[in-house]
Amino acid sequence: MLVRLTEMIENNAADMAEDLKQKLLQDPATLSYQTLDEHTLYENIFELYSRLGHWLLRDTEKGELRSYYSNIGRQRFEDGFPLHQVIQALVATKKHIWDTVLEKGIMTTAKELDSAVDFITYLNRFFDMAIYHTTLGYCKAQNLRTAI
Amino acid sequence: MLTKKMVDLIEANALQLSKDIKRKLLTHSSTRSYQDIDEKTLHDWIYDVCSRYSYWLDEDKEKGEVQQHYKDLGKERFRQNFELPEVISALYLTKRRLWEFIAISREVDSALNLNQIIELSFLLVRFFDHAVLHVTEGYEEMLSEYGYEAPLSNSERLAESIAAKTKRQEEILEEPKLPTFSFTKGMIRLSYYRQG
Repeated sequence: MLVRLTEMIENNAADMAEDLKQKLLQDPATLSYQTLDEHTLYENIFELYSRLGHWLLRDTEKGELRSYYSNIGRQRFEDGFPLHQVIQALVATKKHIWDTVLEKGIMTTAKELDSAVDFITYLNRFFDMAIYHTTLGYCKAQNLRTAI
Repeated sequence: MLTKKMVDLIEANALQLSKDIKRKLLTHSSTRSYQDIDEKTLHDWIYDVCSRYSYWLDEDKEKGEVQQHYKDLGKERFRQNFELPEVISALYLTKRRLWEFIAISREVDSALNLNQIIELSFLLVRFFDHAVLHVTEGYEEMLSEYGYEAPLSNSERLAESIAAKTKRQEEILEEPKLPTFSFTKGMIRLSYYRQG
């Protein structure tokens, strides 16, 4: 069931990535994203959605997550983004995934609801770590810059 | 109020939960600066969140207060020389312990149904998302007072960057430049011109 939910996101990755891209470009809380190349922004979102099962369930040591999001943090610092907007975008991504699960995932039986609770646990753990490592990458780049 | 029972349970167990979270913050590698804080002070910080959980979760009407509280917290932690990732990690470790408490309760209390758990998880996640976001805003406000401000926080710089991106994209979308061929001593030379 947990795999079914991640596969549902993966199967809808292209449409969902386009949808979130538009949301980020229009949201006043993530204005800096309007400066990014739109195709790159789409690709970044698609990378997460199309391999959500890997990110949530198989990258168990979270080594790939650490390095990927640390780089994202460093990159966004170099792009000149305020950190709270980067965090806002990650929070919006998590909400977008969960909204899609609620909209398209059939969760009526006790077993399905039980899996939804597990899904929430995995999803939150992933985004907590993603936000933490993005912040770490951003702040390291910032400290490096101020030290020079 | 479907979730009232669970929130009451958290508040009733606030003391034990605070002890658990304090132990976690004092031993976790991502929250090292918290080891320098007096244990009673640390306990009071955590207990404040756990014991007033229903107050904090009270829908949107108090959101402005939560926002101000966590902005101020971000500023205070900056003044206390905490690194921002440590502050964020402390909030997430707190959230994780509360979520564990809720998730375990589903096994020991059948009256608490899964829909309630899911509903409560929304509140928990939303609350901590706001907390992390506003702590970061407060921390960044202090940084700007000390001379660092993210370039795109400035509306003029932002407008310039958006205009530059739009220009780049327009160039990409322009009609392709077609090559012309010419021969120079047996070599083919390619040159480009713009159509139209």
